[in-house]
Amino acid sequence: MTRFLQITFLSIALIAAAGAAQKVSRTSENPTFGDFSQRIDQYLKLRKALPHERTTKHQKEITDRRHALAQAIREARPGAKQGDIFTPEISEQFIRVIRGAFEGANAPNVRKTIRQGEPVAGVHLTVNGAYPEHLPTTTFPPTLLLRLPLLPDKIAYRIVGHDFVLQDTEARLVIDLIPGALP
Amino acid sequence: MPIRRVIFLLLVTLGLHAWPLPAQDVKLPVKEGSVRFAAIGDMGTGEPAQYEIAQRMLEFHQKFPFTFVIMLGDNIYGGKTPADLQKKFEIPYKPLLDAGVQFYAALGNHDDTNERFYKFFNMNGQQYYSFKKGNVKFFALDSDYLDPKELAWLEKELADAGTDWKICYFHHPLYSSGAFHGSSTELRSVLEPLFLKYGVQVVFAGHEHVYERVKPQKGIYYFTEGASGELRLGNLKKTNLTAAGYDKDRSFLSVEISGDDLSFQAISRTGVTVDSGSIRRPVVVRP
Repeated sequence: MTRFLQITFLSIALIAAAGAAQKVSRTSENPTFGDFSQRIDQYLKLRKALPHERTTKHQKEITDRRHALAQAIREARPGAKQGDIFTPEISEQFIRVIRGAFEGANAPNVRKTIRQGEPVAGVHLTVNGAYPEHLPTTTFPPTLLLRLPLLPDKIAYRIVGHDFVLQDTEARLVIDLIPGALP
Repeated sequence: MPIRRVIFLLLVTLGLHAWPLPAQDVKLPVKEGSVRFAAIGDMGTGEPAQYEIAQRMLEFHQKFPFTFVIMLGDNIYGGKTPADLQKKFEIPYKPLLDAGVQFYAALGNHDDTNERFYKFFNMNGQQYYSFKKGNVKFFALDSDYLDPKELAWLEKELADAGTDWKICYFHHPLYSSGAFHGSSTELRSVLEPLFLKYGVQVVFAGHEHVYERVKPQKGIYYFTEGASGELRLGNLKKTNLTAAGYDKDRSFLSVEISGDDLSFQAISRTGVTVDSGSIRRPVVVRP
């Protein structure tokens, strides 16, 4: 019975957390992350008209489309710079949540996930720059993801050393980043 | 180009890259109408050992005609150019692909998420997805980026599965005696409750470059097969989790499901069976 209650509680907590995260991403006036979701929506709007990947047997087509997409995004955001999406106010909130995950009772697990995910370090990333093809992806702590705004498909949070990165996964492009966000 | 690679590529071209071995004994029942598959993980190196495992798989396929392969992540290490995809996937597994064997990939931390668009990986543009084979439903998860959306999707998919068997596979092992990484405890904290709630019976993972079969944990069977290309020699520090393991060489796993029985056989690069057995589908007792 105790086990049943534990499972039920965990399931409810999980669903609630998922729901909360989705709500954050869709509520522009959410005080926690400011207008982050609006800025993401603006990025998606800009990207909507650009070429998209599709399933193929030919890796060359995937690679060519990725390069074309990345170039098209660069041209559509010629003046993109660090802080366009992660404004100082939004960055502050992200840093608060991220650091909170490294301080709570679950902190050893969060650190372990990153350590086990073969952390990427020593890479200098820039907005509109490519996430290098040969680089692995540091495994993202799932309990931290539960506390961050949910992102739409094709965009993901990445951890690169101590930097917190917003990546266009299809274009493998850096959309924005918060240097030194991770302890 | 190093002379070793020149010789290897020449042997590949001539079809002599893997030395002939006595065909492996098939310990699986090979029952008519059964669901048959192989599992490989951490394979995409393009190095000779990956080709040798692929050759053993082909030989085994002749006696145990599995119809598909689940890929447990780190499918393509390093570069992802068209030449890389050929060297690290298309060439080693060509005979199996030509024989109609399908590959269903899960993403690892060394993979590019755009591998989901590569048709041979059968991901249909999705980072996580499910598919059904007979009375088995498979759930390929992206454990590298397990967000609330994926968890909500998994919960719905598990609830609606409608099959006797539910099998999940992904890159990071929830239970492992590997010395390099060990168990992914944080992932476990979010995935295991769903597995228990919806009666997942078997889980396959990679990441640790060894083979391990874990003793049932809360009634769920866990396999790690992360040595189908890479290897961490001697890295399995057997613990009280370990039911069986192998870290002396590369390996792959073959599986057959017939009715309520799942049989498995792990085979090394040299064609030796390093583990085998069967599992009776656990009866889920809901309180």
